[in-house]
Amino acid sequence: MAGPVKGAGRTARLALLTAIALTIFLAEAQLPVIPVPGVKLGLANIVTVYAVFVMGPGDALLVLAGRVFLGAVFSGQMMTLIYSAAGGILSWSVLCLLAKLLTREQIWLVSPVAALFHNLGQLLAAAAVLGSWAVMAWLPYLVIAAVLAGLSTGIAAQALIQRLDKLQK
Amino acid sequence: MRTKLILALLIGAVAVSAAVLLLQGQRTRAPVARITRDGVLLEEIDLEETQAPRSFLLEDERGRNLISVEQGRIRVLEADCPDQICVDQGWISDGTVPIVCLPHRLMIQIVGGEEGLDGGAG
Repeated sequence: MAGPVKGAGRTARLALLTAIALTIFLAEAQLPVIPVPGVKLGLANIVTVYAVFVMGPGDALLVLAGRVFLGAVFSGQMMTLIYSAAGGILSWSVLCLLAKLLTREQIWLVSPVAALFHNLGQLLAAAAVLGSWAVMAWLPYLVIAAVLAGLSTGIAAQALIQRLDKLQK
Repeated sequence: MRTKLILALLIGAVAVSAAVLLLQGQRTRAPVARITRDGVLLEEIDLEETQAPRSFLLEDERGRNLISVEQGRIRVLEADCPDQICVDQGWISDGTVPIVCLPHRLMIQIVGGEEGLDGGAG
């Protein structure tokens, strides 16, 4: 993989990644609801995982912040911004930590952990907004959902990165 | 080594969650629905005492939720939010999972059951 990209190339790549993530995010919002309310695959996180491993934590945070904010604007649900931001920041921190500990061979494992913390962050935000810990009753559902969804997006992200690596050789 | 540790933690988390869900069962026998907004109690409905089904509207500047009550259960019938998560959840009749409408900061929680029974028996 090419070293850190700088200048206009970096800006262009950040914009491209944000656009891809936003497109995936909005397309996924159109899919029919999974039986457990509020649960989804989180396909846009493939881009976040890719960005953390290939472009570094700082750039990944920019892409994530851009996607979360624009996603809330485009879907017309500004209220969800608090929850997405809380989940996003928590999972981003965990991603950065794991990216230091693990290699690209273990991305499939990194993603479910990040997904788990994403859901935990959302629930904590919800508990704060609603002023009640009762929402934690959702936690068991969300833990299971996060691990399953995180595994699928993690495997997808790993396949993506390995294929792109081959392309650049 | 790290891989195995993280994998073990993940499997552990899923196993604990699954166990919690399976062991919860239906404990609430004298259900009382508490409707709160921003953590402030709006209404408390004794679901056992509700004989005839009824509906009522909860409204504030954020939006509207149409709540429907029958004997032993409660649901959100309509909401003017975009995601409809509270509506899709349908009826709840025990304290397993509360209905939450995040856009309107509304929560419907069923309490009572064990604590209620113990209190009543004492």
